[in-house]
Amino acid sequence: MKIMTCPVNGPRAITEFAYGGEIRPMPNPNTASDDQWADYIFNRNGAPGMKREWWCHTPSNTWFVAERDTERDLIMRTYLYMGEA
Amino acid sequence: MRLPPSATTAGEWINRDQPLRFRFEGRDYAGCSGDTIASALAANGVKVLGRSFKYHRPRGLMSVANHDVNAVMQWGGTPNVRADAMPLVAGMDLTAVNTFGGGVDQDNARILGWLSRILPVGFYYKAFHTKSLFPLWEKVFRMATGLGKVDFSTPRLRTPKRYGFCDVLVVGAGLSGLSAALAAAEQGAAVVIVDENARLGGSTHGVSAGASELVALVAAHPKIRISADTYAAGYYTDHWVPLVERDRMTKMRAQAVVVATGGYEQPAVFRNNDLPGIMLASGAQRLIRRWSVRPAQRIVLLAANADAYLAAEDFLAAGIEIAAVIDLREDVPETQKSALAGRHIPVHAGDCILEAIPSANGKGVVGVRTQSGTIACDGVFVSVGWAPTAPLLYQAGTKMRYDDAVHQFVPEQLPAGVFACGRVNGIHTARALDGARAGSAAAAHCGFGVDQAITVPPETAHPTHPWPIVAHPQGKNFLDFDEDLQLADLENAIQEGFDNIELMKRYSTVGMGPSQGKHSNMNALRVLARCTASTPGEVGTTTARPFFHPVPMSHLAGRGFSPERRTPLHARHVAAGAVWMSAGVWQRPEYYAIAGQSRAQCIEGEVLAVRYGIGLIDVGTLGKLEIRGPQAAEFLERVYISKYAGLKVGMTRYAVMCDESGVVIDDGVVARLAADHFYFTTTTSSAALIYRELSRWNTIWKLDCGIVNLTGAMAAMNLAGPQAKAILVSLTDVDLSLPYLAVREGKVCGVPARLMRVGFVGEWGVEIHVPAEHGAAVWDALMAAGKSHGIRPFGVEAQRLLRLEKGHIIIGQDTDGLTTPGEAALDWAVKLDKHFFVGQRSLQAIARKPRHQQLVGFMLAAGYAGEAPKECHLVIEGGEIAGRVTSIAWSPALSRHIGLAYVRSDMTSVDRPFEIRLSNGSLVAARVAKTPFYDPENLRQKESS
Amino acid sequence: MSAIHFENVSKTSRAGVKGPAAAAWLAILGLPVPDAPNTWLPLEGGLIARLGLSEFLVEGPASAQLAAPISHGVYPVLRQDTALVLKGERLNDLLLETCSVNFLAIDRRTRPALLTSIAGVGVTAIPDGNELRLWCDCTYGEWFIDTLSSVANELI
Repeated sequence: MKIMTCPVNGPRAITEFAYGGEIRPMPNPNTASDDQWADYIFNRNGAPGMKREWWCHTPSNTWFVAERDTERDLIMRTYLYMGEA
Repeated sequence: MRLPPSATTAGEWINRDQPLRFRFEGRDYAGCSGDTIASALAANGVKVLGRSFKYHRPRGLMSVANHDVNAVMQWGGTPNVRADAMPLVAGMDLTAVNTFGGGVDQDNARILGWLSRILPVGFYYKAFHTKSLFPLWEKVFRMATGLGKVDFSTPRLRTPKRYGFCDVLVVGAGLSGLSAALAAAEQGAAVVIVDENARLGGSTHGVSAGASELVALVAAHPKIRISADTYAAGYYTDHWVPLVERDRMTKMRAQAVVVATGGYEQPAVFRNNDLPGIMLASGAQRLIRRWSVRPAQRIVLLAANADAYLAAEDFLAAGIEIAAVIDLREDVPETQKSALAGRHIPVHAGDCILEAIPSANGKGVVGVRTQSGTIACDGVFVSVGWAPTAPLLYQAGTKMRYDDAVHQFVPEQLPAGVFACGRVNGIHTARALDGARAGSAAAAHCGFGVDQAITVPPETAHPTHPWPIVAHPQGKNFLDFDEDLQLADLENAIQEGFDNIELMKRYSTVGMGPSQGKHSNMNALRVLARCTASTPGEVGTTTARPFFHPVPMSHLAGRGFSPERRTPLHARHVAAGAVWMSAGVWQRPEYYAIAGQSRAQCIEGEVLAVRYGIGLIDVGTLGKLEIRGPQAAEFLERVYISKYAGLKVGMTRYAVMCDESGVVIDDGVVARLAADHFYFTTTTSSAALIYRELSRWNTIWKLDCGIVNLTGAMAAMNLAGPQAKAILVSLTDVDLSLPYLAVREGKVCGVPARLMRVGFVGEWGVEIHVPAEHGAAVWDALMAAGKSHGIRPFGVEAQRLLRLEKGHIIIGQDTDGLTTPGEAALDWAVKLDKHFFVGQRSLQAIARKPRHQQLVGFMLAAGYAGEAPKECHLVIEGGEIAGRVTSIAWSPALSRHIGLAYVRSDMTSVDRPFEIRLSNGSLVAARVAKTPFYDPENLRQKESS
Repeated sequence: MSAIHFENVSKTSRAGVKGPAAAAWLAILGLPVPDAPNTWLPLEGGLIARLGLSEFLVEGPASAQLAAPISHGVYPVLRQDTALVLKGERLNDLLLETCSVNFLAIDRRTRPALLTSIAGVGVTAIPDGNELRLWCDCTYGEWFIDTLSSVANELI
């Protein structure tokens, strides 16, 4: 079982975490075309590689960002979300 | 035969003073405490322990290393006990598995041995190819396949499963593993060392020089924990290794893992190589060393490495006559042969066994035919090479390469924190030194001491023969003893085009038996390499997956945790006779049982109490959240589809939440307690998820507000019914003339409470929210005050009917994972003109497209007395599916069936007839009806009688 | 006879607060504020624990102080926990069967407060000397106590 490091609570078994999906910038809803919006809503990139993802440490309800290499199954870095896109 | 006590038996594991009686195949035997089943039977001269899988040939011991799948037994309700490793227990009554009538001695199915010609490789695929024969083959297979019998009356066992922690985990306590453990511990690491054998010291316990001394040092070391009789069942990410003991499993988390698992000695392939009496030399050594059993009187030793000659010393010491050594090598190093000096044992170099000669009844061996002649013997011990016990290394992601110097696969690139030493690392001679090297490196990897970077000398002689395989025109030269595969079977599979290692495995089933190829994979890939004119390295190995060894289901199941939530009023419901139902993690009363009344009567009684008197329901399972801050209203505007900025303090508003695709995911009520303070509810099932999701939005938006989850901290109950107000008035300081949908903070029964005027069930009602610790007291006070009015607690079923009469939807029942607010008849709640809300952009796009379906109310004909449709029954129009029922119930108030259903958008007009198809195919007539069905003007919930 | 002693201390008074300004607000109230996330400090007859970055749990007489009027960026948290104190020689064995955190490796001198999961229930755990203090949502409380007790009774 994998270990993930919560930026606040430290390294824990992966069972303490919930996956929140890849971080994808939301297009401006006022200017995006229907096609652009649909792409944002429905399309996910499943190709293995470096991903920036939302993860939540559930006992403490702490959301943070994890950078994972899904090809090699490695967690490269975790940090708190600071508002950057 | 058991050896008499002597210097040779000094290290034996048995206690001769404690005899144990047991039965095998209906006969009584005696063994000793410390015996395994197999060693006790061997001591009694029993050689046939089982029947082979396909041809039901008599089989005996081969490895005595917990991998002998032809010696598995049924012990009462326990199937497939490995006789070669299972300790003998007094009174055991054992039978061999996989026998047809007559038991292991007189197996009727041995005739299958003569039929091998019509059981070709890939038999399953070929047999099933003809569809019409399928039923026949199925019957045959069901009888012929599978091992052991499952006893369905076996009592439930709860095997403890626990976490474990260490710095360095060493798997295998032979020379290399023991040295690794010591080296790591000396550098300060906390070490755990495990071994599948009952005692430490390696698979040929005590044979290796220095092993006993190492065992003593390890046992005495304060930094080392020892777990014998324990196998590492697999390797999982981040050094997580399940350690399986007889009565528990430990999920060990290490910082580094040293794999010192050694090797499996490999059988040689020649005709009749499966006869009882033919076994691996290391297996024979184990029988002698551990259990003082002499497995044969006069043997032929088939050799190809130094280990064979070391083993010969053991055999001679045990009084076994070695008729000859047949060495596959042309040049046998003199240093190896020196062990036999002065013994006058002929060594036939460059020879091989062409076939073993079976005894008349086929249950033993009476000699071997070699290239140079025939030799009489009652046993053949084989020591021709090793295959690395590398499953853990493969599972850890190790890149392996085939090393021609040792004729085996060795680690080429190990993952960080994984180390290998000893035979599995291709080091067969300097095993202790290699262990020290790996142990030091592992400790250093965890931050303990400095890696000593020990250099280990490479092998000077091949420990493994590259081709211990002899063809024979009459076959029966077995390559896989689990699956009864002969050399020709693999050659045929390759010829038929299955010439890739993974394809060959699946087509021929080589390596797919219970031992998972421990004695067959290596020879199989050698055959494949030779047939395809490639090298073993090019052929490669099949994927090694957990588990390394079969793990009992009870160990895997262990104790599971499925937490259950109970509201603060749980005990009250128990006392009131609640019949429970699960609602996600919650336990909720479905209804309250009354003696002498049916479920339906109880529920109807609860419904009537609410409609005409007073009812009280525990709604504490609702998600209860609080949001405070200057931008709290802005936050709610963004997460709900309606508007809340303009909601007056002291008022509530229905709230629907969508996801980004515009699908309805939750609903509840938002109450404004102050300009910057809201209290709001979510559905029972989504409470935890919604709180988590809102927390994420708040992380992203960074609005000036904070959310607090009060779901468990607040008790909540809904007091409803035309007489509810009358009893509440005496218990609260809140002015109950408050309008419909108002919220007030005040006291109920002297405790701080939030009161929300709601109408979910269609009568005058108020939700009372109080801190959990006061919930029971408030409940009791309300029940006491309502007693004279006939107050009844009501459960989830009554509430479902009451809300259906009002046409209120339940998210998740009347909606699904694709339902938009419009489809669920919630258009009125959607405020597309807001600045922004989650799902808004998607709903704008959806609004421009035609709507395909719509939720409507419907009724069956007033007098309909037939079978009623159920939820999920389909609406049928012109033979086509035109929708489905989401809710349906008999309404006592309306005296007819009412429900909600999705129908095509052109079918929504009131009184539009349509048909619902029942499970039995018949159609029931229904008509679209206006909702609410009951009290359409909503007068009752707004006014108090 | 259980190998673990369970003491239910749910009735002890406690209060909570969270928010970006919570630490400063508590300091103004005169309470000692743990500097690091997930640590705690002893109080007269109780303790104050910092749960994550900006949430606080105050237990004992001092919890009454949290009834003070809140200010901007401070959000009161109603605490209705099931609170337990566990002790006994087999305590670590109980934890090994129910929690993936290695409590033996925790340095008690740093006064850690762990937010983790025991038997599948989210808990705040404070190892203090040979005791373990646990807080969980009260709606899980009964099941949690029953489950831990039965595991404790079956320790082999």
